[in-house]
Amino acid sequence: MPTETDIITGDRKTDRGFQTPEVWAKITGKAIYGIDLKLPGMLYGKILRSPHPHARIMGVDLEQARRMPGVRAALAGDELSCKPFGMVYKDELPLAIDRVRYIGDEVAAVAAIDEKIALKALEAINVDYELLPAVFDTEEAMAPGAPQLHDQHPGNLAWQRELTRGNPEAAFKTADLVVEGSFSVPQVHAAYLEPICCVADYDPYGGLTLHTAVQSPDIVRELVADVLDLPVSKVRIIGPVMGGGFGGRVYGNLKVYIISSLLAIRCGRPVRMQLTRQEEFIAGRPMIAAKIRAKLALNQDGTILARAVDLITDNGAYSAQAPWVSKTLSERNDSVYRIPNIRTTVRLVCTNKVPTGQYRAYGNQVGNFAMESLLDMAAKKLGLDPLELRLKNCVKKGEVTVHGLRINSCALSDCLQAAADEIGWHKRKPGRGYGISAAIHAGGSLVFDKNMRGASAYARLEYDGRVTLFSGEQDYGQGTHATFILIAARALGIEPDQIIIYSRDTLTSPFSIGALAMRQTTIGGKAIQLAAEKLREKIAQTAAEMLGEPVVMEGGRVRSATGKTLELSEIAADYRFQTSGLSITGEGKYVPSESAYDDTGYGNIAVAYSFAAHTAEVEVDRETGEVKIIRIVAAHDSGRILNLISARGQVYGGVTQGLGYSCQEGYLFDGGRVLNDSLADYRIPTALDVPDIMPIFIEQDDPEGPFGAKGLGEIVMVPVLGAVANAVADALGIRVTDLPITAERVYQAIVEWECEQ
Amino acid sequence: MQKEQICFTLNGETIEVYTDPTISLLRLLRDELGLTGTKEGCGEGECGACTVILDGMAVNSCLVPAGKAKNRSVLTIESLAKGDKYHPLQEAFVEKGAVQCGFCSPGMIMSAYALLQESSEPTSIEIRTAISGNLCRCSGYKQIEEAVLSAAEKLKNRGESG
Amino acid sequence: MSYQVVSNLEQVLSALKNRGENSRIIAGGTDLFLEKLPEKLLDISALAEALVIEERGGTMLIGAAVTHARAVASPLLAKKVKALTEACAQVGSPQVRNLGTLGGNVINAAPAADAAVALAALGAKAELIHYSGNTRTVEIEELYAGFNCSAIDSCQELLLRFVVNSSDSGSGSAFARLAARKSLALPLANAAAWLRVEHNCLQEVRLVVAPVKPAPTRLFKTESLLVGRPLIAESWREAAGAAMDEVEVRGSLLRCSADYRRHLIGVLVGRVLETAAGRALTAKGEA
Repeated sequence: MPTETDIITGDRKTDRGFQTPEVWAKITGKAIYGIDLKLPGMLYGKILRSPHPHARIMGVDLEQARRMPGVRAALAGDELSCKPFGMVYKDELPLAIDRVRYIGDEVAAVAAIDEKIALKALEAINVDYELLPAVFDTEEAMAPGAPQLHDQHPGNLAWQRELTRGNPEAAFKTADLVVEGSFSVPQVHAAYLEPICCVADYDPYGGLTLHTAVQSPDIVRELVADVLDLPVSKVRIIGPVMGGGFGGRVYGNLKVYIISSLLAIRCGRPVRMQLTRQEEFIAGRPMIAAKIRAKLALNQDGTILARAVDLITDNGAYSAQAPWVSKTLSERNDSVYRIPNIRTTVRLVCTNKVPTGQYRAYGNQVGNFAMESLLDMAAKKLGLDPLELRLKNCVKKGEVTVHGLRINSCALSDCLQAAADEIGWHKRKPGRGYGISAAIHAGGSLVFDKNMRGASAYARLEYDGRVTLFSGEQDYGQGTHATFILIAARALGIEPDQIIIYSRDTLTSPFSIGALAMRQTTIGGKAIQLAAEKLREKIAQTAAEMLGEPVVMEGGRVRSATGKTLELSEIAADYRFQTSGLSITGEGKYVPSESAYDDTGYGNIAVAYSFAAHTAEVEVDRETGEVKIIRIVAAHDSGRILNLISARGQVYGGVTQGLGYSCQEGYLFDGGRVLNDSLADYRIPTALDVPDIMPIFIEQDDPEGPFGAKGLGEIVMVPVLGAVANAVADALGIRVTDLPITAERVYQAIVEWECEQ
Repeated sequence: MQKEQICFTLNGETIEVYTDPTISLLRLLRDELGLTGTKEGCGEGECGACTVILDGMAVNSCLVPAGKAKNRSVLTIESLAKGDKYHPLQEAFVEKGAVQCGFCSPGMIMSAYALLQESSEPTSIEIRTAISGNLCRCSGYKQIEEAVLSAAEKLKNRGESG
Repeated sequence: MSYQVVSNLEQVLSALKNRGENSRIIAGGTDLFLEKLPEKLLDISALAEALVIEERGGTMLIGAAVTHARAVASPLLAKKVKALTEACAQVGSPQVRNLGTLGGNVINAAPAADAAVALAALGAKAELIHYSGNTRTVEIEELYAGFNCSAIDSCQELLLRFVVNSSDSGSGSAFARLAARKSLALPLANAAAWLRVEHNCLQEVRLVVAPVKPAPTRLFKTESLLVGRPLIAESWREAAGAAMDEVEVRGSLLRCSADYRRHLIGVLVGRVLETAAGRALTAKGEA
């Protein structure tokens, strides 16, 4: 494979940029998002939620609400005959029956001719609750005698895992140094700016159509069909433009789709249901909270010998994907370095709090915070430079990691070096703290869905010579579609502006498991490449038959050996005539060559692995505890960068989300009640909070990804947390081990340290 | 609340609407006038997605009672492009990659528009301050800052004001 | 008419008089949708008498309908009442500052309203007019009836403007706050100081912090400790300590603990005193 290395820095700003024409609709206000959609006769749906963290439902009285003028339907759980559903466990119902398990649990729903009437109708519903004891802390939930949430999870244990690789006990015994730490991370919300909204439309002939923007429409379609007992082919999802996702909208909020569908079926009219920002926070699906106890064994020279992790994650009331997130969180960072011995225990614990889901990077960033903190603690004790310690242990191309990941391309040590050089690692300014952190992320995880690990796409030559791509991969702003068009343009040898892509309708798009697991470019893009190559081949074949001699396709037309040329439109027209109306199409199916993993999870779980190293420069106000981030350098190996303008955008945006995670965000609870349930109090970064961020791309071709590319969208936020935590510790000489690192936390750490001295 | 006649200038055109004056300007624009370019991210003045220009000032239309628009001028994102001629801010937002999901873009552009009315050569910190009431979850704001700088440059070269 | 943009004082008072309890005055209206709507609204944001920013015979007149943005942009306010400029610059967001008014900042009665804290430190007094025509002039702190509850009944009385004595030479003011992020955030704590310097010593001090009580809180003990003190770091350090002793703060799970808030108030008190003293010296030409 090519070994050419090309370093792009953030200073090369405008070249290699392509965007789909949809961007013009977005900046003129013409783009139709989910919340903008209106259908004739549309009703407004609202959900009545439990005010109690744990209670028995003794009765739901809908009569008064049903009698209100303008109300078209009111529903409660006991009159529905829906199956329980869930991604991992069947633990949720569309509307609660018998019990509610968190403040926000869906109890009843109404549809009315306008939103005001719907809200009034909710007030008219009487629910008789019998309060049950509730539990909010994971350790308390595991204790004997604790209130139990689900019969299927005795002891409130939703999932657990014990894993040993190598011989960690021996390694910890013989190591020169063992460092340990306890870390905690709260629930965080993806906080996409457009609240989830769905317009459900049902007609008995055509079936159910959901107008809603989700990252994974095909999976949502199958889940909704299953819960409502409809044939899958009678459920169609049409996606409006999506106002952000970041993993939080992979399945969005399934209850919204299901409840609006139930109301639409009941009323025979379209029903629009939009979550309020408060509902997003109290009843959305934030990323799980975690308590991590971890230790690391090293030799005096800095060689890492073993790592042990005891992880407790907070499932909340229902599981969604919490088990899978917990798994990634517990182990992904083991593969950044050569660590031969591993001991991992994970307990995912049910509590009477908001149910959890997934968020960009799937927990990898949380594990990164703990792992990279420990590494710096070890470096300090060993008297080693944190950069040298990482360079010494980091994984390299050709290696197989402790969990069986096969590293076919890797520029991690280059990333470490570049991030350190750019921040001035060896030219430090007095009074400032510097931190570094490294990461791996699976690009195109193969373990996500048993039924499919690859992707497919179609490319169709239109009669005017332009090309339309059909893909199931969703673009919610991350630039996937622009990248796909660039890939197809390259494969076809035509200009990108001759290509459009269509993905937003389950009726016409090929199946996809969704915009998740950093699989879009690596897997979805590969399918596009294969489809475009197939189309090119078929165009040439058709043209050769037309001309009766061999041809080549170049520069958007076909040329024969004797110099005859054909425009693509001519070829398309001839094919249409010959076939009585068909178009030339190329089918691309990318089936990754292997995805073997055993019962312990050992194996090569992804097509390719992306790498990154971030450095942070900070100042800490020792009086107030305020952390001022001066600069972040983000060095990335995502293989060949196909669209620099959106790659830069992914880095700036992902690092910013990581900074929010590090220093500002996180759920605050009073018992089971979410205290910061607004965008005022849930503090995502504003323009004034974000420091200078410097993206660096170390380009090396990956042997598998399309044109050498690997994924980028998730790994961008992984190393930020560790880099910031380490920089703060470097500035203060004191380590904060709980996120977010707020001014108050820093102040408390200083006070505690002073008390100890 | 009773409905009443409200006369105001919307995107340069004088219009008269019959509406409840205590609903928000955002509701009036989106639900009654069909101008859905102005977005609603929170409805509580905490995200800036609904930013419009009221008599030259950027405001959260979700916090403005419709009655306040009476005899005043309101500009929304729909006013910026003239036919297929885009405003320099719109061009710059595209050229610099300042648009990802795009949900914050209309409000963000209107805040930047208000800034460029006041200041023809804004500094980075002035730009960041001017958009500090507009949350963006996608971009990290960097390419937005670059776009506003570039738009200011374009306007200067064309000898126009925002 | 149920929503009226009023243009003269007469109109406001007669409207209040005729309409009883279902009408109320609003200005910026930024918090209007967060509460239950009254039936009739009187919008005073265009009322000339409530829009003044001027100095008359050693007194600053600042209209209650002046927006935070206008206050920030006023060179006169920056020169005479810098603490107010600094406070207004940190309220909410640019959009909220364009709508929200100084009067609204006080009448909303939020316990840590930045402008209200600065006004109190500046010794501002509020001028109110009842629909009966009676007027009264009271201190900022008297306008609070409880947490988030104003003593002004906007169905009966109009807060017209604030008056601040601006005749003292050798005086300076400053405001500081700390919040969990740099925009769109309420402060964890804020502090404002006004002081007058003679012969390099403090002659008069007003020190106000929040959130402590429902109203901006004067630190009388700390103020009296400072009078006569020289303008040196030790004075500010002592004042910080005294302020921490003097305040009884409450913590909240949402914002921060009582301990941290107390500590912050100490730090901010030291900082605003030092800055205000520097400004007083500059004003006197002694810097």
